[in-house]
Amino acid sequence: MLEGMGRDREKMERRVKVLLSKLGLDVHNRGIITVASFLKDAGMEVIYIGNALPEAIVETALQEGVDAVGVSSLGGAHLTLGRRLLELARGKGLKERTVFLIGGVFPPDDAEELRRIGFDGVFMPGAAREEIVSTVHDLVEGKNRENSN
Amino acid sequence: MSTERKSTKEILKSGLQNKGSRPLYDRGALKALEKSVEDWRMNLPEQDRKNWGKKTKTVLGSDIPRGLLYTPLSNPYFDYLSDLGNPGQSPFTRGIHPNMYRGKKFTMRQLTGFGSPEQTNRRIKFMLDHGATGLSVLFDLPTIQMYDSDDPLAEGQVGMSGVCVDSVEDMDLIFKDIPLDEVTISIVTHYPSNTAILFSMFLVLAEERGIPWERLRGSVQNDVTLEELVRSGAEFIPPKDCFRIQCDNIEFISTRLPKWNFMTLNGYNLREFGTSPITEMAVAMVNGIETIEEMVRRGYEVDAFAGRMAFFWSIGNDFFEEVARLRAARRLWYKIMKYRFGAKNPRSMWMRCHVQTSGVSLIQPEPLNNIVRSAYHALAAVLGGVQSLHVDSYDEAYSVPTEQAALLSLRTQQIIQDETGITDVVDPLGGSFYVESLTREYEERILDEIDEIERNGGYVSAIETGMLHNKITTYFLDQQKDIESKELKIVAYNNYGSESDLPPIDVFRYPEGVEESQNRKLRDLRSRRDNQRVKETLLSLKEACKRRENIFPSCVACARARCTEGELFKVFKEAYGMWRPHVV
Repeated sequence: MLEGMGRDREKMERRVKVLLSKLGLDVHNRGIITVASFLKDAGMEVIYIGNALPEAIVETALQEGVDAVGVSSLGGAHLTLGRRLLELARGKGLKERTVFLIGGVFPPDDAEELRRIGFDGVFMPGAAREEIVSTVHDLVEGKNRENSN
Repeated sequence: MSTERKSTKEILKSGLQNKGSRPLYDRGALKALEKSVEDWRMNLPEQDRKNWGKKTKTVLGSDIPRGLLYTPLSNPYFDYLSDLGNPGQSPFTRGIHPNMYRGKKFTMRQLTGFGSPEQTNRRIKFMLDHGATGLSVLFDLPTIQMYDSDDPLAEGQVGMSGVCVDSVEDMDLIFKDIPLDEVTISIVTHYPSNTAILFSMFLVLAEERGIPWERLRGSVQNDVTLEELVRSGAEFIPPKDCFRIQCDNIEFISTRLPKWNFMTLNGYNLREFGTSPITEMAVAMVNGIETIEEMVRRGYEVDAFAGRMAFFWSIGNDFFEEVARLRAARRLWYKIMKYRFGAKNPRSMWMRCHVQTSGVSLIQPEPLNNIVRSAYHALAAVLGGVQSLHVDSYDEAYSVPTEQAALLSLRTQQIIQDETGITDVVDPLGGSFYVESLTREYEERILDEIDEIERNGGYVSAIETGMLHNKITTYFLDQQKDIESKELKIVAYNNYGSESDLPPIDVFRYPEGVEESQNRKLRDLRSRRDNQRVKETLLSLKEACKRRENIFPSCVACARARCTEGELFKVFKEAYGMWRPHVV
């Protein structure tokens, strides 16, 4: 009986699937590995593809049918490559059904700009585990509700 | 590594066993002290007696427990001459020079690099005009990762985090009006592959300005650890080929440029990636050991080259730990060079180092606090006896430093050097019961981790199998948990919460238009250079790679022909094939 309940619950709460990537050529990956472990600890399925350009990120996201895409940038290319990522995602119809997140090191004013161009969540250095996990959960849930309506 | 070969730890043990020891402390006096300390201890609050050894939790710290108090009993066999020696004498614990900073001040070498070569040239001149005594040039992401500025992979990233270089002509612009033979220049090439490419360009620049190579002074990094272990990137060549290039670079540079530091064993980026101060030093030293072995195998005398190996460390928050481990590393490196390699020239046995204060220890909330953090890091570095120093800027948790913040970092160094008086006395913390005890503990632990890597098949294998990747990830994920549980306290982050959301500081903005102008320059270069010669030099580089010959002379020929960085990296990828690093 317990097993049966477990299966039902699993069905109801399909594991959230997240694609993580370093944006472009940025060499720093400690942050994204840390975020990957946060999300895995919270029971999500995480695919980390290392360094990739927006084209490859969007393509992988489409193939894998992920709920969320998270990119990390500490090298200064957050706006240029971030913009291209979202444009491509819109073009492929991915943006409407997928949550887009970005984290890394950038000037604080840019956080607002990143939201304005379409990132659903923006994380600065020092973002806490709970903040990241709950934001991903809430945004994915919101997106799913939006799409089922 | 074959099983019959002795490990470094075994060699040091047998080398040191017949050395007589003359402990400084009289046995009888220690006995009396033991009783007195025990009586004192019994009067301590129970809590302190129970928790005598406390694990100090600091960002990037070790887990070495600290006693409440250190006395001569902490280090009862302390032998001044064999444990410390006088400064400038073996085992160099107190410093590599007899008069240390009275004789030679530490070099104030601030990293510089952003935007176009012209913009970086202006910032370099600004730093020199304000008293910097060395240069350190940092490249942008595409240059570090070895792509040309017009490569599709480079789009949107040209001139960010450093300066862009595509060919020898950009080198010329970076060093415009700077006499290459009058100032020591650190060219932060990071990887063996880009050392072969970018340093060749630098040498061709010197050649074209009529400066003989043997007059040049400075350093490159040239470290496998950076290319294959610390780096996050899109394309990697196999670690064993990368190691060979590292040694090719050393072979060429050490024979042609006697005053150039051909390798800077880089613990810094490894530590900042997230590892303990012990692993930082163990990995750098194991790479050093295996590199020297390879050079000896290639037929070079240890003393003919080892004096130009240098180290690069990160200095973090745990003040005494940082001082102690710099001293420990000097002592251990001396022993390794003497007993493992039979070096005779004292210079070969020196652990010379450049130090950068820890960037990962700086945080975004209340960024002005970072000024204080960096100043403590710098103070520990100088008390630890470093040769050269970079102080991180308080705004680096946001972007590369503004001119004002970079100047403040330089001023921090100058205040330590000229105002605090600490440079007048050599190794001022030497003899402290605590520091000496920690120094000994550090030396043992670094050697233990060297041993662990050697017993697991050696350095290159430890990268190939993912052993080191796993070790690092475990460390920083554990540290993350300590920060979350607030066992590790960070002011204005998880302790004394900060009210302010936005920093009251100006944040550096990358200049615009760099990518366009760089791409224009590249188009122009490709149309006016002798493309037949380019093709031929690239082809002979490829053949050298395939024949496993020293590739450096071919890289120089490529630089002379105005080949671009991306063109050379493409040859490496084709000749060596690609490798996938361990995914954690």
